[in-house]
Amino acid sequence: MSASVTLERPPGAPAAIVGRPDAHRRGLARLGWGFTLPALIFVGLVTIFPIVFSIVMSLSNVGLSASGFALNGFTLHNYDELIHAGVWRYALGFTVGYTVITVMVELILGTAIALVLQRLTRGRGLMMALLLLPWSMITVISAELWGYIYEGTYGVLQAISGAIGLGRPVFLGTANGAIVSMMVADIWKTTPFVAIIVLAGLVMLPEDVYEAAEVDGASGWSTFWRITFPLLRPTLALAVLFRILQAFGLFDLPFVLTGGGPGTATTSLAVLGYKVMFEDLEFGPGAAVATSTALLVLIGCMAFLRVFRAQAGSEEAA
Amino acid sequence: MRNTSDQKQRSPRRSGRNGVRVAAVAAAAAVTLAACSSGSTPTSTSPKQPTGSATSASITWSASPIAQVGIRAALIKAFEAAYPKIHVTLISAPTNTDTNRAQLVTQISGGSTSPDVFMGDVIWPAEFGAHGLAVPLSNYLPSSYWSKFAPGLVSGASYNGKVYGSPLFEDQGFLYYRKDLLAKAHLPVPKTWEQLKSESETLQKDGLVKYGFVWEGNSYEGLTCDFMEYLTSAGGKVVNSSYTKAEIDSPAALRALTFMRSLITSGVSPSAVTTFEEPQAMSVFDAGQAAFLRNWDYAWSNSQTPSDSKVVGKVGVAPLPTFAGQSYPGYSNIGGWNLYINPHSTHLAADLTFVKWMSSTTAQMILGKTYSEIPTVESVRKALAADPSAAPPIHVAAQTRLVPRPAGTPNYPKVSSAIYTNVNAALSGSTSPSAALAAAQSGINTALSGGL
Repeated sequence: MSASVTLERPPGAPAAIVGRPDAHRRGLARLGWGFTLPALIFVGLVTIFPIVFSIVMSLSNVGLSASGFALNGFTLHNYDELIHAGVWRYALGFTVGYTVITVMVELILGTAIALVLQRLTRGRGLMMALLLLPWSMITVISAELWGYIYEGTYGVLQAISGAIGLGRPVFLGTANGAIVSMMVADIWKTTPFVAIIVLAGLVMLPEDVYEAAEVDGASGWSTFWRITFPLLRPTLALAVLFRILQAFGLFDLPFVLTGGGPGTATTSLAVLGYKVMFEDLEFGPGAAVATSTALLVLIGCMAFLRVFRAQAGSEEAA
Repeated sequence: MRNTSDQKQRSPRRSGRNGVRVAAVAAAAAVTLAACSSGSTPTSTSPKQPTGSATSASITWSASPIAQVGIRAALIKAFEAAYPKIHVTLISAPTNTDTNRAQLVTQISGGSTSPDVFMGDVIWPAEFGAHGLAVPLSNYLPSSYWSKFAPGLVSGASYNGKVYGSPLFEDQGFLYYRKDLLAKAHLPVPKTWEQLKSESETLQKDGLVKYGFVWEGNSYEGLTCDFMEYLTSAGGKVVNSSYTKAEIDSPAALRALTFMRSLITSGVSPSAVTTFEEPQAMSVFDAGQAAFLRNWDYAWSNSQTPSDSKVVGKVGVAPLPTFAGQSYPGYSNIGGWNLYINPHSTHLAADLTFVKWMSSTTAQMILGKTYSEIPTVESVRKALAADPSAAPPIHVAAQTRLVPRPAGTPNYPKVSSAIYTNVNAALSGSTSPSAALAAAQSGINTALSGGL
């Protein structure tokens, strides 16, 4: 059916290991821990320590001097300052809105592309390689390229728009223009990622259900909504979660394209955190921005999973 | 190919869930870590030197490119010729002043001994001084050293009574104009902003040039510089003299900002000017597409470099205009760079030797005569002003009126960002000039009181 071998399951799924004595298994487990422990300690040092340090910093009066930071006692002031700062509330709203819109568009486009790819018999490998190009490009580089496209005096898009009689808008010069331009660059880059994940989900769907649907004379549309979509939901959920996590940390695009402007229109939470921390040298509030952002995205993801599971459960019960 | 195995059907969901957890933790780490960076590589191990006389050492000098023409290398070469035992390694710093500063702050507060000496913006002394991120040079260099600089520069490099930066070269806003176009249309060099606007409109209407006036309008530090010039010429100011209260929401500021916005709405400045920094403004002017340009001293050499410019020999330089009813010339914002020393440097004596040499006549002449930067040492400046072969901006600099940015507070970065984000929003039309000034006023008050 398909020329590509990479997406097919290897013949003969590995059978579960059975009939081994418990002691032996425990021994193996211990050996496993022994082998992974050095790596785990290393990972712990480079991830857990900075996280904890960031949380501690966000709850402290931080003094900056030549000898580094001094943590001068516990305070909730940093968070209090955030909640009362208009810039933080705007950044939160912008980041959430940006995440919701881009992830939704990417999901729809990505699923559509995956369905097409699945049906491709020839050239699927080539198409996937092409699709992955934007995804594999470093965001800072692709943002610079989009910068040339959107540029306000010699930009490609402006020239095209002028040539077809739509005037010469400055795409990054107005708040709405800059936000939409940025979303387009983001969607261009990450839709392929969603498409690949969804495609991987699609090839794993059982064929017999589709055969049954065909026998019953179901239309393509209702096959999609009643079979493909429900079966695909775990995969879609995974794609959505990955994308939420990434989109919420939006930094490189606004940093390169607009510096957070015009005004503060494209100042995301990550850009704000960078500015507060490294431009204003307010390390306490900066850490509070970083910590609250991580916390919010975790809560968001957990809420999403809960809703998703509850829905899946109610459907299974039905 | 669709799979028919039941056993495997559940696997996507389960691995999905675990994958999600792992990803969530990883992302949380990534978000938290996004802000962390460091770079500290001590370059030399020679012991700490007593301060005072020149010794042998190997030091590092961090400096952003100065006008892209090899000035830094030329200075190092001349210094090493004078002090053969001191070796200087250049660390090229980012051109964006804020990125440059963020990098230095991270490095120095992290305890890095490198760079030993760094070239830093004239607006940094309060911030670096308040946090102990630069050596108070006045503890080591006598008042006779400081008295040779042009007036105002040393006080600008001071915070709380101590001098933190040794002035290297000065910069200021200039008006660059197309001599050929003004001659063709029989127009004088504009002395007021209103005149500049109407002359631009005439030149554009006659089809002589695409845009009238290009400048720096992006949401960044450079817009604060440009705005300060209009604001001061209109008679306004940003804060009171004790840095306790914002005074930017004033009729004078409204006049300044309304005028800047009108440059865009009238088509004299392209709408893209709200995304321009120095290089973009310069390239539009050098491509022959604008009649007037507001830029710094270095724009002169770029405009006279045939490989970069189509307007070689057609450019004139003048002080910036003022508003109608105010005395000419208008105000130019002070820019420029100082030399600072890293408090963790292990080569203080060599650092001081290097810093002192940079204000010698030899070094200042390299900067002023060879590369047409404005020298900071008064005697060199006078010598060049009397030299007809010196670059035009150096002659014009003698006639300009200067205004510094309100950088006397360690909270200056926030004060400035309250200015440029709100001014930029008004320029792009997303808010009205009066609303933008009200927002800037409250933003600056919050910044002065230490808030976000």
